[in-house]
Amino acid sequence: MHRFGRLAAAVALAATAATTIVACGDGGGGDGSEAKTLKLWHYESANSAMGIAWDRAIQIFKDEHPGVEVQFERKAFEQIQQNAGMIINSSEGPDIMEYNKGNATAGLLSSQGLLTDLSAEADKRGWAGKLSPSLQTTARYDDKGVMGSGNWYGVPNYGEYVTVYYNKDLFDKYGVKVPTTMAEMTAAMDTFVGKGVTPLGMGGAEYPAGQLFYQLALAKADRQFVNNYELYKNPVDFKADPLKYGAETFADWVRKGYVAKDSASLKAEDMGTAFISGKAPMIVSGSWWYGRFKAEMKANWDSFLFPGNTLQAGSSGNLWVVPQTSKAKSLAYDFIDITLRPEIQDLIGNNGGVPVAGDPSKITDPKDRKLIENFNTVSAQDGLAFYPDWPVPGYYDVLVSGFQSLINGSKSPDQVLDSIAKPYQDGVKEITGK
Amino acid sequence: MAVTETVATTHQTATPTSPRPRRRRGDRKGAYWLYLIPGAVLFALVIGAPLLGTVYFSLTKWSGVGDPTWVGLDNYQHLLHDQVFWASFRNTLAMLVAMVVVPTLLGLLLAAVLFDVIGRRFKPRTAAALRAAFYLPQVLPVVVAGIVWGWILRPDGALNGLLDSIGLGALRHDWLGDPGTALPAVMAVMIWVQIGYPVVVFMAALQRVDPELYEAAEVDGATWFHRFRAITLPQIRPETFVVALTATIAALKVFGPIFALTRGGPENATNVPSYFAYYTFFKKLQVGYGSAISTVLTLIIVVVAVLFIWLQARSERRDRGI
Repeated sequence: MHRFGRLAAAVALAATAATTIVACGDGGGGDGSEAKTLKLWHYESANSAMGIAWDRAIQIFKDEHPGVEVQFERKAFEQIQQNAGMIINSSEGPDIMEYNKGNATAGLLSSQGLLTDLSAEADKRGWAGKLSPSLQTTARYDDKGVMGSGNWYGVPNYGEYVTVYYNKDLFDKYGVKVPTTMAEMTAAMDTFVGKGVTPLGMGGAEYPAGQLFYQLALAKADRQFVNNYELYKNPVDFKADPLKYGAETFADWVRKGYVAKDSASLKAEDMGTAFISGKAPMIVSGSWWYGRFKAEMKANWDSFLFPGNTLQAGSSGNLWVVPQTSKAKSLAYDFIDITLRPEIQDLIGNNGGVPVAGDPSKITDPKDRKLIENFNTVSAQDGLAFYPDWPVPGYYDVLVSGFQSLINGSKSPDQVLDSIAKPYQDGVKEITGK
Repeated sequence: MAVTETVATTHQTATPTSPRPRRRRGDRKGAYWLYLIPGAVLFALVIGAPLLGTVYFSLTKWSGVGDPTWVGLDNYQHLLHDQVFWASFRNTLAMLVAMVVVPTLLGLLLAAVLFDVIGRRFKPRTAAALRAAFYLPQVLPVVVAGIVWGWILRPDGALNGLLDSIGLGALRHDWLGDPGTALPAVMAVMIWVQIGYPVVVFMAALQRVDPELYEAAEVDGATWFHRFRAITLPQIRPETFVVALTATIAALKVFGPIFALTRGGPENATNVPSYFAYYTFFKKLQVGYGSAISTVLTLIIVVVAVLFIWLQARSERRDRGI
């Protein structure tokens, strides 16, 4: 109890601070072009693609702004995630920071007037031209904080998407070819099952199950469905395709042994390490694993796009946001602009990240290049379909629980769809009032 | 005006009508209050104010940012019909069994055996070493214990490996992934975590029992079980109350092991009120509703604690009466 009590007090203090600062924020913020310091926070590790690229961006910024001091602080993800409301209300907060995309995070803060509207800068500096429509979705939020339309409140720098990683050595050993259609994919999995190998690694206690379900559903989906499901354009029928197809196919894959029946309690990390150690021939998961596999995996491996889908789970990465209380807004815009330059974008790509505006021809490692080419293919066909847990706060746990039941066979697809439909509908009602 | 009143009061108390000793005692009492100030200030800051804050937020609808909207008792009304909330309370009953009933009974038995049998037949050091071994899980950070048990219970973990190696491979199971076995598995872990606490407290209690009582009973031909029932149990009753009370409170607010092992899943099979409150508060961003859950939980804990203390006082009164 005490932890909640203490937190409530902290939140109360933050709220008081919020009202005070928002009240004087409009006058206090200003353009800040005279500012002599830029306080910058992000939470990417120093040796990650973004960490390396943004270090270089800071260097370029310093060269181009002699006399301006950059006060960079590396924060922990959880630190920003749980305290963002307080942080950006404080006079000690940053002038620019990395923050999570999505309705419950950047959307919520923007709807409360705590983030600076970047629309004018996005036009002036041509940011909009560098980002595909599905990448822009997570940058723009309406007055209720719902993504997809309205003003620009954040600028993404990198992208991410769900793909299929496969172990080349195991494919060779069992004579399996890289599938390009869903029929070939299931045939490949049948081959593995026939040899007593479970083809797909899974971590049912975390996000992988929900993402596989979503990938399967997206095979039967179009952009309108994504807009309905993610942006609440129209009500979603959970008992009809594509969600029905997704749940039924998922259950079918478990029944056929493509996914292990005893993987409901495994974490995403377990799935990743099973792939790294060569136990799982394939996993369906995000580009965030790429650097880790590159560094740790001994067997030969590569990735291919989930076969047959035009839409793929994925989105922009996290955003640069400028708090309303920023004292150096103009400098913050300059910094954002630098991070979108080809030099920085290529640096992200050459270190195993997925740049939002990268040029694959500038990427030296063929595997890195393929990762980026695949992303660009998806992005160019407006194929980023976001993630299944995004629509409402807390939906992640609902999906985890639902698909654990499909893995361990305690519920039918129909029952699972029922169990995930209600929290979705309640959550959407909470947000839109409809 | 107020000043005049104060002066008047001071003047009144200063009149030599009341006898001296009483006034001195009054002064001393005032001095005692001074010593309570640091504790009271800390209590007000760390517990009192946040508690009031939580109660206030429980009457509002709030996402954690912006202004809370006053909704009166809506959150509590919603709580009454929330199946997940009630399911989490049903699981609390299982936690009470795993953290209070079983460890207290088992702890009594173990403490008596360690003290009476092991302590006498072997060197006292052996009993002390065993006591330390039982207590070890209490010293381990609960999240570390949770992660280790997660490894043991996972599908390719040590438990299934052990079953395989002794020819019971047919019993292999996804212990934490099946709603049927997740709660019993978590209960087993909690018994392991909790058992050392009553053992240590009861062994300390046994040391204060007059050995002559046991000797006299032995002379009269009482068996070990007779002595356990007629001497040990009544003599260490105060400690039993303390263990039961503190363990009950711990069971009602258990959070760490659930967070580390199952996050309340699968299908809420292991959800408990404090995890549900955390999830509602932080993940669903329903600060008001999360606060309402916390408030109800606090209320229940206070009621249970008062009930225990009352029972203990009554039992002590009865003992004195005898």
